[in-house]
Order: sequence, then C-alpha cells, then structure tokens
Amino acid sequence: MNNISKTPPIFSGILIGLSMLAAFVIAGRGIGTSGFLTRLVATVQYELLPEVTEKSAYFARYFFTDTHPLDNWLTYFAVGLVLGALLTSLITKSWKVEVLRGERISSAGRLLLALLGGGLIGFAARLARGCASGQLLVGGAELAVGAWAFAVCIFAGGFAAAYLVRKQWI
Amino acid sequence: MDIIAPLAKTGFITEAQNLWLAIPTGFLLGMALQLAGFTDGRKIGRTFYFKDTDVPTVMFTAITTGMLGLWGLSLIGYLDISKVYFIPTYLVPVMAGGFLFGIGMVVGGYCPGTALASSFTGKLDAMVFVIGFFLGSLLFGDLYELWVEFYKSDYRGVLRMDQLFGTSVGQTILILVLIGVVMSVGMRLVQHLVWHNVQPISSLVLRSIQYILVGLALVVSVGMAFFPNDAFLPSEAAREHYYMVPRPILELLETQTNIKADAE
Repeated sequence: MNNISKTPPIFSGILIGLSMLAAFVIAGRGIGTSGFLTRLVATVQYELLPEVTEKSAYFARYFFTDTHPLDNWLTYFAVGLVLGALLTSLITKSWKVEVLRGERISSAGRLLLALLGGGLIGFAARLARGCASGQLLVGGAELAVGAWAFAVCIFAGGFAAAYLVRKQWI
Repeated sequence: MDIIAPLAKTGFITEAQNLWLAIPTGFLLGMALQLAGFTDGRKIGRTFYFKDTDVPTVMFTAITTGMLGLWGLSLIGYLDISKVYFIPTYLVPVMAGGFLFGIGMVVGGYCPGTALASSFTGKLDAMVFVIGFFLGSLLFGDLYELWVEFYKSDYRGVLRMDQLFGTSVGQTILILVLIGVVMSVGMRLVQHLVWHNVQPISSLVLRSIQYILVGLALVVSVGMAFFPNDAFLPSEAAREHYYMVPRPILELLETQTNIKADAE
C-alpha cells in the first residue's frame, strides 16, 4: 500500500505538464480549478442571497460585469477535468462510491476532517490567489517567485500539521 | 519559426474555439490526476509522512514539463510570451495562504483539482472536501473586508526567480529543474529510511524510461542555460511586460478586466 498508483509518476507528471502547456499555447493563460469552484459557489449564493453577495467587494467583481461569472474559460476547463477523471476511472474500473481512509480512522472521522481540510483550502486558495494548479504549477513554470514560495509553505504547513492527523493516514 | 501561439491571442482561433478547446485541456488533467492516483486522498495525505513520495515527483515533473515547454517555445520563436498571462506576486499573502493550504492538504487529503476529479470517481470524502471548499471560499468572500488589506499587501508585480536572484532565465530554469530532481530523489531516500520495505514504483523497464526522460529534461535545461535573456524575451514589449506593474495600473486593470490580478 505504499504506492497506490500504477502509473509511473514521471509519466503522469508529464501529462499534467502537457495540460498546462496546452493552456499556455492555446489560450495564453494558466490552468486552474479553484477559481471555477469559487465562482460556482458565489453564483449559488447570489441566487439565494443576492444582498449578501453584492455586499462583498470580492464577489462583486464576478457579478457587476457583462458576462455571467460561469461564462469563463475556467468552467470549460473544469468540465473537461471531471469528464477526464470520470471516464478514466470507469475505464480503469476504479469508479466506486466509497470513503477513502487510513485503517485507524472511522468513516465519520475521515469525512469530518475532509470537510475541515476543504474549508481551510477554500479560504487559503483565495488568499493565495490560486491553488495547486493555478498558483503552484502555472506560477512554478512561469518562474514566479510567489509560486515557489507557495510551494515551500505548503510543505511547511503540511509537515507541521502531519503529526496531529497521523491516524487518518498511517 | 513564425509566432502563432498563444493561438487565442494571435487571432489564430476565435474566442469560442478557445473555450471549447479548454475542455480537452481539462480532460487531459483529469485523466492524468486519475492515472497518477491523486484522486485517492490517502496518496496525498501520506506524502507528509514520507510514506508516498509521488506528489513531489509528479509536481516537479509537471512544472518542469510546463516550464521547458513554455520557455522553449518562446526560444524557438513559436510563442509570443508577452501574450501569456503571468501571475503577479503578493509575497506575504501567498506564503500565508500556502501554509494554510498545506495544513488543509494533510487534514483534508486533497487540493481543489484532485478533489473535484475524485468527486466524479465516486469518492465521498472528496465530495465532502469540495463542500468544505465552498464554505471556506464563501467565508473569504463574504468577510472580505476583514482581510482585504492583508490580501492586497506586499505586492511585488510580476516577479520572477531570475529577477530575484540576478541569474538569467535559462540558468534559473536549469537550477529549478535540478532542485526538482534533488527533491524528488531526496524524498524517495527519506521514504526508504523511514519506512523500510518500500516497494519499487514500477518495473525496471518503466523505471529506465523515467530515468531517460529526466536525463532528457536535464540536457534540455543545460542547453537553455547558455541562451541570453533576449532569446527568451525577444521583443521590447515582451521584456517590459515583466517589469513590475505599478499598483494603480494593476488596480485599473483589475476593475476593467474582471479577473486579471487573480490566478484562480
């Protein structure tokens, strides 16, 4: 169980790099996932609670423009991403409804930590102006100082908190 | 070679075609994440105990591929790099965000891309992670007033590693590729020291192909190190593009073009 993947890491890394390179060559921009997710949830909140959403200077820039916040390159990219994962998991017969967890944690415990970790990252990705794809990979390839500093801090944060949640994974 | 890329910016394809082509581009990433095993949160979580070291290896390989591709295409004159969007650096906010992001990764087991991909392979923990992401993003956006000052602080413009260290673009690429190789191999060595009976990642043949690919990347980046900056940033416009953008101009750009200051 040391290595779950059967695809050699250099191969999958090159595929991820080629996706990023295709975005540079075709669109002249980087890839990204977190931007789509934030736009999606902001749109939902705007439908339900327009006053609250309009009050936020951060979300306002999504809505006070001519285009719908989801009428964006990132949305198309995200559609491709979920289709790619879905079809590949079906073909490799790994599509399964399950909770992935280490042997020493309950399903409920794992889901609670997943919610907490997701919340932290939902906030952190906005603060950092991007996530692992949009900030780390793209900025890394562009030689951006911010992206390389981001990478160092991700590992610092991960290792700092690892002991506290060790039962979840090992 | 004539400059034809970025295709959407040079008028080679229409904006509508550009949007449709984002789907196969995303498809490639989704497929790669699934093949890498990154749709399994355990694989990402175990990185931080040195029990699985594919995350740094894949990450550095992806960066190297994109980096050599981007700068290499500029070098051979295929891509006008001044038309590629470059991420500006807000150093302290991005570092604080990175630290929280790292905690989130070991607690949650995913990053946004892997969680979204994994959700569509039936994994409930990934779906819950995405719900958490939604809540965290809403918190950031709805209470934006509380951290807007910090969020916009320490602005450095489009600042690259070569500018920071005074090295050439080519030399910087070589150094970063070397760092990637050393870190990937180093993580693997620590894995052997901490967890003794580590399984080989793949067969000898596949391992050999990987070594050849890494060697190839090193050869290419050594070659790049000999080129001057003008070869990577050919036009005056391209070079100016990278100098620090004064803050007021950036804010004007932000308000006019909606997302420009955000990598997303």
